[in-house]
Amino acid sequence: MKFNKLLAVGATILFSAGALAGCGGSSSAKAPADTVRVMSKDVIATMDTSTNTDTIGSQAASNTMEGLYRYEGKDIKPGIATKVVKPSADGLTYTFPLRKTSWSNGDPVTANDFVYAWRRTVDPKTKSQYAYIYEGIANAKEISEGKKPVDSLGVKAIDKHTLQVTLDQPIPYFNELLTSSFYFPQNQKTVDKWGKKYGTNSKTLVFNGPYKLINWNGPDNTWTEVKNDKYWNAKNVKVKKLQYQVVKDPSTALNLYQSNKLDDIVISGDTAKQMRGSKGFNSRQMNSTFYIEMNQKKQPVFKNEKIRQAIALSIDRPQLTKQILGDGSTPANSVTPKDMSFDPSNKSKDFVDETSASGNKYTKYDPKKAKKLWKQGLAETGNNGKKFNFVLLSDDTDAAKKQSEFLQNQLEKLPGMKVTLSNVPFKTRLSRSTSGDFDMVVTAWNADFPDPINFLTLLTSNASYNRGGWSNSQFDSLVDKSMGADANNPQARWQDMKDAQNILNDQQGVVPLYQLGEAHMTQTRVKNLEISPNGSYNMVSLRIHNK
Amino acid sequence: MEDVKITANSFEKVQADQTADQEKISAPSLTFFQDAVRRLRKNKIAVISFFTLIIIAVIAFASPILAPRDPNAQNPDYANLPPRIANTNIPGFRGEIKNAAGIVTNPYETNNVPKDRTYILGTDYLGRDLFSRVLYGTRLSLIIAVIATLVDLLIGLPYGIISGWKGGKVDTFMQRIIEIISSVPNLIVVILLLLVLKPGLSSIIIAIAFSSWVTMARLIRAQTLQLKEQEYVLASLTLGESPFKIAMKHLIPNLSSTIIIQTMFSIPSAIFFEAFLSFIGIGIPAPNASLGTLLSDGQKAFRFLPYQMWYPALILCILMIAFNLFADGLRDAFDPKSE
Amino acid sequence: MLKYILKRLGYMILTLFIVASITFFMMKLMPGTPFSNQDKLSAAQLKIMNEQYGLNKPIWQQYLIYLGNLLHGDFGTSFQFSNQPVLSLITSRLKPSLLIGSQAMIIGSLLGILLGAVAAINKNNWIDSLATFVSIVGISVPSFVLGVLLQFFIAFKWHMFPIAGFDNWQASVLPSLALAVSPLAQTARFMRTEMVDVLNSDYIELSKAKGNTRWQTVVKHTLRNSLIPVITILGPLTANILTGSLVVENIFSIPGIGEQFVKSIMTNDYPTIMGLTIFYALMFMVMLLITDILYSLIDPRIRLTNDKEEN
Repeated sequence: MKFNKLLAVGATILFSAGALAGCGGSSSAKAPADTVRVMSKDVIATMDTSTNTDTIGSQAASNTMEGLYRYEGKDIKPGIATKVVKPSADGLTYTFPLRKTSWSNGDPVTANDFVYAWRRTVDPKTKSQYAYIYEGIANAKEISEGKKPVDSLGVKAIDKHTLQVTLDQPIPYFNELLTSSFYFPQNQKTVDKWGKKYGTNSKTLVFNGPYKLINWNGPDNTWTEVKNDKYWNAKNVKVKKLQYQVVKDPSTALNLYQSNKLDDIVISGDTAKQMRGSKGFNSRQMNSTFYIEMNQKKQPVFKNEKIRQAIALSIDRPQLTKQILGDGSTPANSVTPKDMSFDPSNKSKDFVDETSASGNKYTKYDPKKAKKLWKQGLAETGNNGKKFNFVLLSDDTDAAKKQSEFLQNQLEKLPGMKVTLSNVPFKTRLSRSTSGDFDMVVTAWNADFPDPINFLTLLTSNASYNRGGWSNSQFDSLVDKSMGADANNPQARWQDMKDAQNILNDQQGVVPLYQLGEAHMTQTRVKNLEISPNGSYNMVSLRIHNK
Repeated sequence: MEDVKITANSFEKVQADQTADQEKISAPSLTFFQDAVRRLRKNKIAVISFFTLIIIAVIAFASPILAPRDPNAQNPDYANLPPRIANTNIPGFRGEIKNAAGIVTNPYETNNVPKDRTYILGTDYLGRDLFSRVLYGTRLSLIIAVIATLVDLLIGLPYGIISGWKGGKVDTFMQRIIEIISSVPNLIVVILLLLVLKPGLSSIIIAIAFSSWVTMARLIRAQTLQLKEQEYVLASLTLGESPFKIAMKHLIPNLSSTIIIQTMFSIPSAIFFEAFLSFIGIGIPAPNASLGTLLSDGQKAFRFLPYQMWYPALILCILMIAFNLFADGLRDAFDPKSE
Repeated sequence: MLKYILKRLGYMILTLFIVASITFFMMKLMPGTPFSNQDKLSAAQLKIMNEQYGLNKPIWQQYLIYLGNLLHGDFGTSFQFSNQPVLSLITSRLKPSLLIGSQAMIIGSLLGILLGAVAAINKNNWIDSLATFVSIVGISVPSFVLGVLLQFFIAFKWHMFPIAGFDNWQASVLPSLALAVSPLAQTARFMRTEMVDVLNSDYIELSKAKGNTRWQTVVKHTLRNSLIPVITILGPLTANILTGSLVVENIFSIPGIGEQFVKSIMTNDYPTIMGLTIFYALMFMVMLLITDILYSLIDPRIRLTNDKEEN
């Protein structure tokens, strides 16, 4: 039986090795006093603000770079610009005085850094997928389509510390736009030096923001940001270090949080439902709405507004957000998100509240009325008693799958309606939406800038993202008017947008579902971790209160 | 001295079948298969596994009768209820569960569920009856696995026989193809296949079959190479029998033990593979349940609603163990050396 | 021997070529585009983007260009990580996966051999049953269930190892264990079968007859002879580790290559998918070659030159 002894010895060695290692790895529940450890849902794809496409990249950029402005709470505060600038009387020219500050390599930050970065982004050679966000700045569209030279872009350095921007047409929300990372400056010397490698690891970067990214290499799962002493507002940056860790499994995130290894995690679904109400739970409302588009080209029956209204009425939104999603998402009665935009003359009037009369008409759960409208709609379109089988297209994330199953069940309560689910990866969903290969699709739109127009322009007749094909000439002309004739008249523009929204609500051109909420667990020692209207956290105001 | 008269009566007739009696074999003569079955019967573990499988299969296929509720019917107000058998007091089935703070709660009371409602295994995130879903899920998993294995047999068997029978250049060529296919990890092929094909039951079956036929083909080929040299095959050949008939009459019957054993190993790995595909999100499309989708949903809720993972996991483990033990038993039974 | 290896290398290159071609065309059938916000790009912009990435050319031209670049060792740059060369992407993500994978293989195969041997020596008594049961449970529990359980109990409840991440060596222990179970079980089963065969063979009887102790017999004859076939399954097992690693890396937040692979498929990152497929195929074939060479070194009965009759 010597062999069995050997086994016993082997097992003993293995377990003692485990126990030893265990001592080394055992958790000290004490968190580092000057560091905040945050969960990230994914890796940083690139630190090059010209080619970035996701929120993780813009968050990292917002932590380490400084643009003209920075959001503090819901207010725009000067960044490199010394004040929040008002445009010229015609609304077309902005002149920014810049403060004297420097990059982390010692170079001064100048107006030329902005000119260089902006030109680089619109230059088709840079292959930026977000060049479209510059549209409205003189010649930006033509340049990104390769029709005009890059230096014709409406941005110039009047002197080292004065930047001037010329627009094609007034953009009422231009200052909001400028907070986004796509408008950050770049240090030409550094970009030229590294060429294609710029933004692929921390060695290729220089910073002018509150933090410096260190020891980051391309697809790393963790990264660290340390305070940048050269930042102009460094005295207000109180947290010395930010540590990011990518966690994709929800229970792993919770385990890390409860062992005090992470200060802030994102949770969803059942975890969020269970943790709701416990200490540290908080939900952050995003400027993002989910809605159903109905393909009128493929299913002509969707052209009937009663059919669309019936679909809208047959969905129990509170149950969807509370029982199925559980992440703090709220029922939406409008495609435009709440708490995002306010009457220019009265900041207490929310755009969505102002239009809620029309919005609530068809978004309150009412299966009886839904069935009635559905029957009427079928009769009007000559489809009495006909059976329909619709494909509901959606993403393949956990939340999206659950939501699809729920919607399927709700919609199938309409007589004669059968729903087949198709849950596909994000990019497949996009390409199928674009090519019209769906009957109904759950679409999400995340505000590029906090203004209703960003949502309303999605649904004009010829908008490329109006995949359902809903069309209303009055809506179109109101949207056009708000961007043209009334662009420089805030009050008239506000009224135009409200009118347009009311038409959309009445017609249910698309069926709004909910406004996205992101549930978090945050350690109580971390304060002021607030999300800005542009979707990034302002880490300048972040604080730690150690007990 | 008296004369001894020898009459006919003096002779006793010898029983005609006496010699045959002497040579009689005490045990009944058995074919190879009967022998294998006899050996299998002696193997207690294999027998238990076999009956476990039968019971699970019968219950799973009777799920339309046995399931207390429609497995896809939602009732979001009754979501995530823990197991309860109404009007009893069996530990684990009282409808109680620890919440996030570690306090035992009874969601049935907080959700105003009628007192006489029984959810033997609780409900999932949409309030669907988990017991019914486990029943239907087991059925679907079994169907997928069995069909995938049959498809894999359908490709692997002819491929192996042709490759082994023809030999020479054909064999070399066919073996190269197998080598190329097997040098790409299965998972990559399957994922790519699933993305190209439309998601659904049939594409999953194809993908799983595609990943396992190579092993089958290899085993069949090796056996065919041996059988080809047997005298009865040569005899058949000289008598002018066509290769197809030889394959049907001689090869396949003699390959059957290999086929059966390999099939019994393929089914559990197909079940496993389906579970894995569901976990990475490219499995059976909703709302249908399979053991894989149940398990991957349960895994996500494990911290708070552990029952949602334990029960599907338990069924999966029992199935896997039973299949493997039974296959082991079969292998031993078919292998005369093992006694 | 050298001739054999050269021949195998030749086949490897041919196989890689075929694998690259098949993957390339399969990928072109995949729905979707690599651009994450395609719907916001104007037709003119989309055209420019396609031109810049060479996606506007006919597929056969794209194919030739890709093969040409491959010959120079250029795998292209990732779509998902802008400007990140695929090769550096693979190499930077390789280390964690290799560490976890090789630890899992070492733990799994060694313990598996041990378990199988113990089972075989104690054939048909309770130790054998126990060992068989352990190994069958091992292949019956999916790695994602096992990973979650290990993490919850060992790391979260008992604080023995880090919960997730890849900061230090300790962090690699649990994922390695989760991955090790499947090779452990399979090696054990295989080892038991082989060893039972060997124990029944004549030379073992002879060894016993010579008066060798049971221990000497086992070490001198049995172990070595039963190990030989076990080596053959190690190659395929290594490939199976990949399947598990996708899941385990996700659960333990390991910045590994498996997790990257799933993501590049989901985001239509063509160059990365291609690069990883070729890389996996290469790794797999190298493993097979190594096991074959090992096989010939350990077992003098096998000569590698006449490979045709051998398989």
